[in-house]
Amino acid sequence: MKNSLKTYLLSFVFLLSAFSCDDVLDVNTDPLAATSADPNVVLPYVIVQYSNRKQTELGTRTSDVPQYMSSNFNSPKTGSTTSFLTGNTWRMMYVDVLGNLALVEADAKEAGATSNNVAAIAIVLKALIYYELTSIWEDVPFTQAINGQEFPSPTFDSQETVLNGVAALLDEANTLIAEIPAEGVFDVSGGDLIYQGDMTKWEKLSNSLKLRVLMMIRNKDTSVDSQITALLSKPLIENSGDIAMLTYSGQAGAENAFQTIVSAFFGSDNESTGVHAPGPVFYDLIVNNNDPREQLFIYDPGNVGPPSIGQFSFGSFAHFSNNVIRGSLPDIFFTAAEVNFYKAELALKGVGTSNTQTEYENGVRNILTFWGQDIPGAITTLTGGEIDAYVASLPDLSLLTNADALTRVHEQQYLEAFLNPILGWNTVRRTGVPTMDPVPGTAISTYLKRFTYPPNEIAANPNTPANLPTDRPMWFE
Amino acid sequence: MKKILLLSIFLLSALFTESWAQERTISGTVTSAEDGSTMPGVNVVLKGTTNGTITDIDGNYKLSVPSEGGILSFSFVGLTTQEIEIGARSVIDLAMTADVQQLSEVVVTALGIEKEARSIGYGIDVIDGDQLLEARESNIVNAMQGKVTGVTISNTSGNLGSSSKVIIRGVTSLRGNNAPLWIVDGIPINDAQTPTGSRISGVRDFANGASVINPDDVETINVLKGAAATALYGSRAAAGAIVVTTKKGERGKNGKAQVSINSTVRFDDLLTIPDYQQQYAMGDAFKYDSSSVGFDWGPRIVGQTVNLPVTGESGPLTAIEDNGVNDFFERGVSLINNVSVSDATDKSNYRLSITSLNQDGVIPGQELDRLTLGLNTGMQHSDKLRSSFGIQYIKTKSVGTAAAGANDPNIIGLGSFSSTLDQNNFKPWIDASGNQINQTTPTSNNPYWIRNENRNDRNWDRYLGNFEVQYTPIEKLNILGRLGYDYEIDNRFFSNRKGTAQRLEGNFTVDGIRRSQINFDGIANYSTDLSEDFGLSILAGYNYNKRLFTRETLFGNELAVPQLFDPGNVNQTVSSRNFSERILMGAYGQAELSYKNWATLSLTARNDWSSTLPLENNSYFYPSASAAVVFTDALGISNNILSFGKIRASYAQVGNDADPYQLDFRFFPVSTASGQYGLNVNFPFNGQLAFAKANTIPNNNLLPEQQKSYEFGLDLQFLDGRIGLDVAYFKSQNINQIADLPIPQSTGFNFRTTNVGQVDTKGFELTLDAKVLEMGDFSWNSIVNFSQVESTVVELAEGVERLLIASAFNSVQVVAVPGEEFQLFGIPYLRDSVTNEILIDPNTGRRLAGEAKTFGSVLPDFTMGFVNNFSYKGLNVSFTIDWRSGGIMKSSTVEGLQNGGLAEETTLNREGTFIDKGGVILNADGSIRENDVPLRNSRDFWTALNDGSIAEPWIFDASFVKLREVAVSYTLPSKFFDNSFINSFQIGIEGRNLALLYSKVPHIDPESNLFGSGADGFGIERSNIPSTRGIGFNVRVKF
Repeated sequence: MKNSLKTYLLSFVFLLSAFSCDDVLDVNTDPLAATSADPNVVLPYVIVQYSNRKQTELGTRTSDVPQYMSSNFNSPKTGSTTSFLTGNTWRMMYVDVLGNLALVEADAKEAGATSNNVAAIAIVLKALIYYELTSIWEDVPFTQAINGQEFPSPTFDSQETVLNGVAALLDEANTLIAEIPAEGVFDVSGGDLIYQGDMTKWEKLSNSLKLRVLMMIRNKDTSVDSQITALLSKPLIENSGDIAMLTYSGQAGAENAFQTIVSAFFGSDNESTGVHAPGPVFYDLIVNNNDPREQLFIYDPGNVGPPSIGQFSFGSFAHFSNNVIRGSLPDIFFTAAEVNFYKAELALKGVGTSNTQTEYENGVRNILTFWGQDIPGAITTLTGGEIDAYVASLPDLSLLTNADALTRVHEQQYLEAFLNPILGWNTVRRTGVPTMDPVPGTAISTYLKRFTYPPNEIAANPNTPANLPTDRPMWFE
Repeated sequence: MKKILLLSIFLLSALFTESWAQERTISGTVTSAEDGSTMPGVNVVLKGTTNGTITDIDGNYKLSVPSEGGILSFSFVGLTTQEIEIGARSVIDLAMTADVQQLSEVVVTALGIEKEARSIGYGIDVIDGDQLLEARESNIVNAMQGKVTGVTISNTSGNLGSSSKVIIRGVTSLRGNNAPLWIVDGIPINDAQTPTGSRISGVRDFANGASVINPDDVETINVLKGAAATALYGSRAAAGAIVVTTKKGERGKNGKAQVSINSTVRFDDLLTIPDYQQQYAMGDAFKYDSSSVGFDWGPRIVGQTVNLPVTGESGPLTAIEDNGVNDFFERGVSLINNVSVSDATDKSNYRLSITSLNQDGVIPGQELDRLTLGLNTGMQHSDKLRSSFGIQYIKTKSVGTAAAGANDPNIIGLGSFSSTLDQNNFKPWIDASGNQINQTTPTSNNPYWIRNENRNDRNWDRYLGNFEVQYTPIEKLNILGRLGYDYEIDNRFFSNRKGTAQRLEGNFTVDGIRRSQINFDGIANYSTDLSEDFGLSILAGYNYNKRLFTRETLFGNELAVPQLFDPGNVNQTVSSRNFSERILMGAYGQAELSYKNWATLSLTARNDWSSTLPLENNSYFYPSASAAVVFTDALGISNNILSFGKIRASYAQVGNDADPYQLDFRFFPVSTASGQYGLNVNFPFNGQLAFAKANTIPNNNLLPEQQKSYEFGLDLQFLDGRIGLDVAYFKSQNINQIADLPIPQSTGFNFRTTNVGQVDTKGFELTLDAKVLEMGDFSWNSIVNFSQVESTVVELAEGVERLLIASAFNSVQVVAVPGEEFQLFGIPYLRDSVTNEILIDPNTGRRLAGEAKTFGSVLPDFTMGFVNNFSYKGLNVSFTIDWRSGGIMKSSTVEGLQNGGLAEETTLNREGTFIDKGGVILNADGSIRENDVPLRNSRDFWTALNDGSIAEPWIFDASFVKLREVAVSYTLPSKFFDNSFINSFQIGIEGRNLALLYSKVPHIDPESNLFGSGADGFGIERSNIPSTRGIGFNVRVKF
């Protein structure tokens, strides 16, 4: 009985199934999404998402770790890195940036040599991100990352592996750039928000970034010196025109986060609210040396000096001027001065053939020219005479002991990396200059040296190493 | 004696046979013994013949009978069949009584098929529409609280028009598909809830879709529990179905059109307010600070002269009673008015109903107005053809919905009230030029400005329509076509006026949502008697369902001209669109075999084809079987102790599809590059558009989800139906769940969509109803319902330790962990591994944070409702007590009250050094010692409790007992109206959420929940508008 009923039912079902036509059901294609995308629309996403997340997450929260600022909201300077800080940064770098760059790179490589420019841009940006990842967490997925098919749980590579791998990536980028054909090249000028498709500048950035990475490796392993020497003869970033940065128009929706955190929560600008203020170490290096950056950076009409570390100004102390904290402040990735100062440092260490004093002075001149004249949207400027006068007043490093001369160079490196949160932190950790002030109420023995791994990666990836104390130095230090 | 009497009647009639040997006509009126109303549709049959009729719409019948006497049999489903000797009468009027013994109650099963409860092999609960009117609620879902076994209902907050969540028999889905399907007059309607904003950037919880159902129009609600009950509805009812039948036109008792008026006025106040301390002022370190709102660590209040908050005027420092909560929150007023007109003839019927709901909320500036128009009408075109249609239009307009969550200046929580802050000083909040005034500091907002100048509006139009045709070409065959349409336009508008601190330049958001659902069912039903004992009913049907969702949002930032909300008036606009479409087709069949009215076997089968699954995998089939045996009839048990007994069993399998667009890899246009604190930038950026890949790896091999379940139940009635007991045990297994599984982000993606995991539920339900006392006109009925459900996550996927269900703040999450119910996950104190004592940092004297862990289930262990009804003549008193036991919650409000020194317990040892005796210090040798590191004072203890995002101190047992409802009504004796047009007149007093009788959570209502009904968040509370208690007065008049 039961069986015949079932047959009866089933035949009814099959009878009616004749109505179910696959055409009717074929509506599962999202009309508001695309199945492929032009690099001219993916690259803007990658670059701007990277910049804004970095500025809001690292810039406005960790600038007090290397003590450029006196205090930041939700800062990890006392040793505790929250899951938001670590989680959001990690996700942005791996998922938003590297995940999209991998697709851009793969598409470009498939398209052949005419898209070498696109592939090279993707690889240089990828190298920049891995450099930052290892700077924040030390051991990070690199060789097995962004390949979920083959490696669903990527292993973590040592910092040495990652940094050397980054250098190799930049070599690959340069090879691709060198092999760009003369004609028929893909036009990436729209999507390339950094250099508008100018591949000679990308080549300079690639070489310069490699120099930055080798300088980090060199801190631990001087066997890269030969690579460095070879690199110094290649095109490097040499003036404000070469600088790698993302410009913000300053219009609503295109403002630098250092400004939007002020305008969203406190008031119209930093001078009137005193949200961002210099740390004493940074302030002293500028003000005590009569550095003209004082008039560019510092707002202190009452001449009260900076707040101490851990303290906000909110108008009671010196704080940053509207010339720095403004919606149109660019996000600076790499300046010419950084190269000059590496050359000066290397000369003092006997690597390469650069002249220490020349590079030291050129570095200062380059950074003052950038902040005082060439930076987009400047409110306060410096005259050529002011810059010349300050450069002329710089000490002759050859008259100092080698150690003192190195300290002078490192101090300039520290000043140069202002508002570049990871480079600044790396500079302090690499050179030990300047000496950080003790942080009140800190839970760690020294200043913050690393982030802990984010909970999401720990939960999903069994290969995540155990977290180390956040004051444990990294391999490169 | 009896026999002799019968015999003599027989003989008497035989004697008269000859003289009455011709046809005669007998007529009469059948009424209900319960309320005297006339009863249409009663079967009147001359016993032993096929000669019969049914009563017409007015309860009248006429039947030709032979002149030689005979017996008339009156029968109606659910009522006692009565047999009456005709004798010499030509008129027989009859009052029919309910048949408690037979339990032939009618229930509405899947597809709107009415069946006798005694033949049902699965669990159904019925709520009579009148029960919903005892204490009227603006969200019908809340009115069901405590009245249905196995159903957990929770509303989120005291916000007007907030959403309420229904879970039937526990959670089974890892992706939030735990809400039941709502069916109104055979048509599935949308119950989805779409919040605006996110919990991180501030969220507005708006009512769930089913909240538009108007309690005044409801005839019955049948809650279908378990997959066997809902199998014919297919995959969408995997979490149960709530079948609403609306009232249809009927003629009044006096044979005229019936007009009914039902008016309620209700007043709402806060149910709980925190136990605020009144000894210490605003400020810190015992120093007074007039800007320190919600941070009362200032000096002891001794009437010292200070500059008072807000006004800045000099005056004595005094404590404001209850921190001014009662000054700020207002008394809410609700007016609910319903007028309905209904009438019917034997050919047609109609009912028109108009309801207006006008509410003022407890929080200033909050209003909700709803107009409901409903029309139901039907026509009997011929003997074979009948049609009906119903339309409902519901317009809901609300202003001033409160924000919840975080990072939104519009959030006002119980932590924003300070001991020495007089809320009255915030008035006025705006000057003639439109500037904000009377702020505590320029960077904080005047709460009245927030409530009165910033808009949070919703304008929601809902259209529900159904059309049904029934055709009976031959006897026993019934063909039905039913078309339904549910369309809604939901326009929301939010603005921050220029001058709002933290949104200084002003902004606005326009959020437009359109949803539609079209549904068609074609059903053929053939019923026949196979033999005298066997009956067979066969049903086959086809279903088409299409759902569309469209959303367009426009955000305008930085207004040039204040309060001009046009994209041309802002510096920045960001717009976004959202669209989805899904189609489901189903073919289904059912065969039901019955034996002697005491055994029923029902088999169903359904096959669905879904547009959201891969074309090659888009078809899924599932069967169900259920059986019911009335064993008291089968075994011939008939005694006064056990008067009725039924055993039932069912097994069902149900499939489920995916969400749209989960199969293909996609690039999305992006309008926003997100940043911390909501500091976003937008595309086009420097003139460039942006696209990004999806961050979830799609899966084009998805399989349908599968649920298998079985249920056993027992219905017993004792003492002639005075005591009823219904017991059910059920178990379900849910596999192949379609979930977005978190994967290491270092792969470049956040999730991959896949079939994973298994969630099992098992539970036990018990309903006991008793006529406790019946003495003359006095009666006392009592119902106890109890249900206990355990939903266990059996497995996730290989290597996956836990799956995020919902995320809140500070690492507090609801997660699925194998072997457990849904868990609250957060950061505990660091504890000594040997003694499990809380460890104190020897450097600071403060407690240390441990690694995040699970704290326990967020779901209740059991729920219980206790409904009592007393009646004496026209007076009726009823009350409902609702008990939920078990489950934990985390309260951010309590956290804020304690951190801020607002709560009474923070006054303990406030002055002088303070050693935290709740923890120990770990010595270098691994031993522990009692904490000996003093803190400066108790402030350092309370403010440090959440160092490192520790959640543990604010995780509470969320059990509660509530006096949910009390209703007193009095029906005036009808003799008062003998000479008037009024038929009945009833007055009543009603109360909702009257008292929290038991709770372990301090300061707040443990039922508060951060998550609206659209998310599977349980057990997390943050900045909710406190829930309310309401008392109302009601008048019901029928003409």
